[in-house]
Amino acid sequence: MAAVNPYYAIPSKISKIIKETPTITTFILDGKPFEFEAGQFAELTVPGVGEAPFTPSSSPYDDVLEFTIMKVGRVTSALFELKEGDMLGVRGPFGKPYPLSKFKGKEVFIVGGGVGFAPLRSLFLALLHDLKDYKKIYVRYGARTPDDIVYKHLIPEWEKIDRVDMHFTVDVGDNTWKGRVGVVTVLLDDIPVDIKTSPSFVCGPPIMMKFVTQRLVEAGFQHDNIFLSMESNMSCGIGKCNHCRVGKFYICKDGPVLTWEDVKHIEEPFV
Amino acid sequence: MSMKIYLLPSDNLLSFVTQLSKTGSVFYPALNGSAAHMVRFNKEGTFEPVFQKIRSAENIKHFLFPSRDIVAKFPNDVRPKTEKQFIFGVKNCDLRGVEVYDRVFLKSEPIDPAYKQSRESTVLISADCPDPEDCCFCNLVGLHPYCTGASDINMTPVTRGYICEAFTKTGEQLLEKHADLFTDCSKEDQKEREKIHGAADRKLNEINKKVFKDTLSDKVANADRKAQHDARKNCVECHACLHACPTCYCFLLSDYTKGKEYERVRTWDACYYAAYARVGGGANPRSELDQRFWNRFQCKFDFFKQYEGLYACSGCGRCYRGCSAKIDIREILWQL
Repeated sequence: MAAVNPYYAIPSKISKIIKETPTITTFILDGKPFEFEAGQFAELTVPGVGEAPFTPSSSPYDDVLEFTIMKVGRVTSALFELKEGDMLGVRGPFGKPYPLSKFKGKEVFIVGGGVGFAPLRSLFLALLHDLKDYKKIYVRYGARTPDDIVYKHLIPEWEKIDRVDMHFTVDVGDNTWKGRVGVVTVLLDDIPVDIKTSPSFVCGPPIMMKFVTQRLVEAGFQHDNIFLSMESNMSCGIGKCNHCRVGKFYICKDGPVLTWEDVKHIEEPFV
Repeated sequence: MSMKIYLLPSDNLLSFVTQLSKTGSVFYPALNGSAAHMVRFNKEGTFEPVFQKIRSAENIKHFLFPSRDIVAKFPNDVRPKTEKQFIFGVKNCDLRGVEVYDRVFLKSEPIDPAYKQSRESTVLISADCPDPEDCCFCNLVGLHPYCTGASDINMTPVTRGYICEAFTKTGEQLLEKHADLFTDCSKEDQKEREKIHGAADRKLNEINKKVFKDTLSDKVANADRKAQHDARKNCVECHACLHACPTCYCFLLSDYTKGKEYERVRTWDACYYAAYARVGGGANPRSELDQRFWNRFQCKFDFFKQYEGLYACSGCGRCYRGCSAKIDIREILWQL
């Protein structure tokens, strides 16, 4: 049998497109080309254009694979031109999953910013799947404006779940917005979890990562309990091309999630 | 340890090469100007191999991991067959490159099929490097100027011909298959080889009197910003050092459409390019040349050493020879 080619992307049809915000869209694939665990990522191919890495936003337990993506560069711009029924390529899963078994019986603290909520949603859904195993799940999420909040259609249902505690903020409010205003760190003045034992998970733009991490460290989270989704230029996804290396870590192989313990010695881990 | 050692009389080299060329391409170093360059053997043309010179201007990467290679095709992933190739005159420094690629592409999961295919269809016939030049420093990165086991067959030119020593099953089988061209290697031949090796080692030690400190990795890891800046101040960003390097293996994947199909192409990349680490949104963790320049040192002398236990540097000196500003990597490392 021929060896599996790690550079080959499995052709997959886009079954549904959900516009989340003016710049963020969720692409739902027809079926699930491979199994993954929360925290792992995939490389998405726009045929003939190229690839970019994304962490699924769907639950590892779902029958479909979903990606929530912001239009920022060459590949994502081409991706946003695609319609339902068009083909994509997917290869993965890559990277290390979250060590979820370590958090059984604990409170979990999740902090997201902007489109950074996408990979955290996959984690959140995986935790919900086994909710009985966790004491409580806290979600703190910040977006630029109310329009920029992702998963607006899902949030009301999540908020109803017992043992889920969600708070939101926007940088700039509008007439309809009744919630907090300010960057996401305003939601971190009061952290209602057992800080000594709880894991925290952070994903968002670099500046948000920097200040949230700083706040979590000050609050007293264990450094190896602060899980950070690292952004990095990736090409191969399999620890060979060298592009994603940050310090001694290959983000594609050792990450994409590293702990503060891992990256705190790096001069500027969030760029 | 040597599995088989024979002598190829000088007059039989052409026959050996001609016979090999019936089953694949043969490449060998030939003089062009003052440097050796790898050329393809053509039985109609001249055959003037040069084994005494230092490594060829081209590095071994061209043969195993070409600058442009199709790594996947869509929707039907069909890999073209690779032709067998025999590479004569590879020096031990270039074999450090092969060691590095083997570790990255074959020994760490997942295996890279394109590399595996070209590696398996390549026979490496190394040659001693009896006359190291000013740019050479393989002795500083743990190598001798002669192969001690990393090739399929090693050749040492001696008075009576070429001592050919097989280090792999492939090499051994090749020598056995062409046994009629070879004779026994005498004790005198082997003594001559020892002398050649000793002289080459001595010359190299003369060129590089100072060794690298045992703490080199730490020194590289902890170099301050001033040291990093001073190291690169003459760099004009021509990137010759990286493309000429046999141990640099960075690459970039790009897709190209071909009618209704498309191909995924791997091209060499280099960490000195400003956009190398830039992400889709535009942020760049190594936007400054100081950072990019030092990244190369960290990659070769700190990270690779940490992960794999050896420097990702061959001491071939191509970076120094090719550098527009004549930056000598040794000087930078000695000063740390």
